[in-house]
Amino acid sequence: MKYKTHFLKHDFSMLAILVIPIGVAVNFVGGQTAAILKLPLYLDAIGTMFVSMLCGPWVGAAAGALSNLVSGVINPSVLPFIIVNIGVGLVTGFLANKNMFSSWWKWPISICIISAITIILSAPVVVLLYGGITGGGTSIITAVVMAAGVNIWTAFLGTEGIFTVLDRILSFIICLSVIRCIPPRILIKYKCGCTFIKNQNKLPPM
Amino acid sequence: MFSIIECRNITYYYPLSRFPALIDINIALEAGKIYGILGANGSGKTTFCSLLRGFVPAFYQGTLTGEVLLKNKPLSDYGGLLAKEIGYVFQNPFTQLSGVKDTVFEEVAYGLENIGADADTIEPRVIQAMEKTNIKDLALKNPLHLSGGQLQRTALASVLVQEPDILILDEPTSQLDPQETRNVFDIVKALKEQKKTVIIAEHKTDLIAEYADEVLIFEKGRLTNRGNINHILSSPDLIDRGVLPPQAALLSNKLKQYGISFDSIPITYDQALNVINRLLHTEKR
Amino acid sequence: METNYTEQIQIYKTNKIAALYPTAKLIIVVLYIFCTLVIGTVRITSLSLPLLLIPEFGIVVFLLIVSEISKNGYNILKDIIKFAAIIFFVQVFLIPGGRLVFRIFFLTLYEEGIRSGISLAFTLLNIAGIFIWFFQTTETKEIIRALEDSGVHYKAAYIMLSTFQMIDVLSQNSKTILNAQRARGIETDGNLLLRIKAFIPVLLPLFLTAITGVEERVLALETKGFLVECPKTHLLNVKRSGHEAYAVMVAALCTIFILAGRVMLCFLS
Repeated sequence: MKYKTHFLKHDFSMLAILVIPIGVAVNFVGGQTAAILKLPLYLDAIGTMFVSMLCGPWVGAAAGALSNLVSGVINPSVLPFIIVNIGVGLVTGFLANKNMFSSWWKWPISICIISAITIILSAPVVVLLYGGITGGGTSIITAVVMAAGVNIWTAFLGTEGIFTVLDRILSFIICLSVIRCIPPRILIKYKCGCTFIKNQNKLPPM
Repeated sequence: MFSIIECRNITYYYPLSRFPALIDINIALEAGKIYGILGANGSGKTTFCSLLRGFVPAFYQGTLTGEVLLKNKPLSDYGGLLAKEIGYVFQNPFTQLSGVKDTVFEEVAYGLENIGADADTIEPRVIQAMEKTNIKDLALKNPLHLSGGQLQRTALASVLVQEPDILILDEPTSQLDPQETRNVFDIVKALKEQKKTVIIAEHKTDLIAEYADEVLIFEKGRLTNRGNINHILSSPDLIDRGVLPPQAALLSNKLKQYGISFDSIPITYDQALNVINRLLHTEKR
Repeated sequence: METNYTEQIQIYKTNKIAALYPTAKLIIVVLYIFCTLVIGTVRITSLSLPLLLIPEFGIVVFLLIVSEISKNGYNILKDIIKFAAIIFFVQVFLIPGGRLVFRIFFLTLYEEGIRSGISLAFTLLNIAGIFIWFFQTTETKEIIRALEDSGVHYKAAYIMLSTFQMIDVLSQNSKTILNAQRARGIETDGNLLLRIKAFIPVLLPLFLTAITGVEERVLALETKGFLVECPKTHLLNVKRSGHEAYAVMVAALCTIFILAGRVMLCFLS
């Protein structure tokens, strides 16, 4: 128990407390804007990824969970997807902890891992609860493929897979460009912020 | 007089920075006075304000040598309770909103809710603070729908409501029109009468000349000048140090170049008026 | 002497059901979801369909009407109904499996498709519906205040409350930016690549402004005593209407009744 309070205090710093609402709001607005622009992508986990990249898995998972609870107020059918958003938060956070965003060649690997976890977690929700239909633009393709006699799981993975990867690439680019704009002296105050500071050897001895 | 806050041998580096933001600051501020802090952008005004409030180094980290004493106790001893001792108004009025309140009334009351003040005493205190800052007619409005000036006054009210002994204002009038700016300075003057200490970082030298008791001038992280306001603000080299002198002093120094001599350079409008009156008088004679 | 602001910021409700304390309503929601899952296992008719889920949805409609939120409730519910309808038709017409029930021309209905169609669509409608009832009768600040009263840490409550305000601010800003982009002639319609390109300049600036404000916000909160560890005062109070015990009791009795019925069905068959 003592360990638990310590880790909560350490991870949920004042900065983390204020970044979570921004992450949730960015998820929300990202999803809304993607819908207005009729994109075939959801783009509703940008904030979760951002929070995880800066503050680690636990704060990221909290942002992810809160996002779905908040969207659930307006559309309760998104509530079951809470496990996807929590999963994305946790995995992105663990990757940040392991310094997996520090150089460009690690990015594709990280994006693949994040996309994979998204698909693995969302497939059971969509297939078991909603019969393969997500309500998004890709549902029609899934339905047509299913009608052709393809297995429901294969149909979902085939159509959603590619869009999920695209979604995560775009989300990642946005997160990274925002993080690049945060001055280093603020960045070091976030738990995983140091990963994103270039020329770390320039640091003065402390 | 009683020194309420004291800096001893302060030198401070922001993290990742090789240049000090504050160099060798030694100063004791006295209770019940208004201090104006002047200097160019990046001269260390804001850092000095953060230092007095303990944000440097508690929030910004970095390397700090020397110590700050509040009422003869190191700042770090106060912890969260520092909120009751020192009020702080920031430059950007929007980021000062609590982010959780729907009305100006609740926004102003937020600080009192946080320190666990008795619920019955909150409302009269909030009304008083709103009256001082002239936002009482906005009480039930949503803070998100206010203009910059109204927000700035709300920010001031939400700090005043806690009745701190020391008030630090970092460019509190940047969003205000001239009349509202003057109102803020009148509030500051009233606070002085209640024996509060006020520290204002400000670019509007004219108002500092009129209201402050003492000025501190910062240059590249150093406190280069402090003390008597008339002496410092009338000095002709002020402009080379990144501070625009008061209009009255500017004019008088110009006139001096044309051979009109003064016994003293005025820094406020009232002083200028006196000087000009005297000049006209001697001309006539 | 003056108008009493503390009274003016309280939440007043005239409807007795809407005025129930948030946690009481939450218990009702949880019981309702439990009942839905139980009722979903009851299969009737020769095709063994979970038909009882359909009359159960009447309870949601009834609650929306007696809580006087039928208009707002319907506005949100209609999107869910559309979604449920799509799920239903996809299942019924596209899923081959089980006994062939019906066939005209190219349309074929299979037993399995009908069963899962009804089950998925009406489970969704029931559960989503009860959440809509809860969120439409309860303001978010009420829920969060009630949570804080029942022991949730004040920092967690702050995160939740400020999330709602942040969403308001950012979505308003995003609409302004989107309209500005359109006015400047940047294409927000047109082909996919153009629309993706339009997405970034909408989201990025408001994201950045929000993030750069964080630093000062931390300090501002600290000066307002956010970190002072003490029992916090609250001007906004959520009142109990006094009918909570009855409401929860009725819900609990219904649940027991449904559960008993389900168990009896097991023994009968």
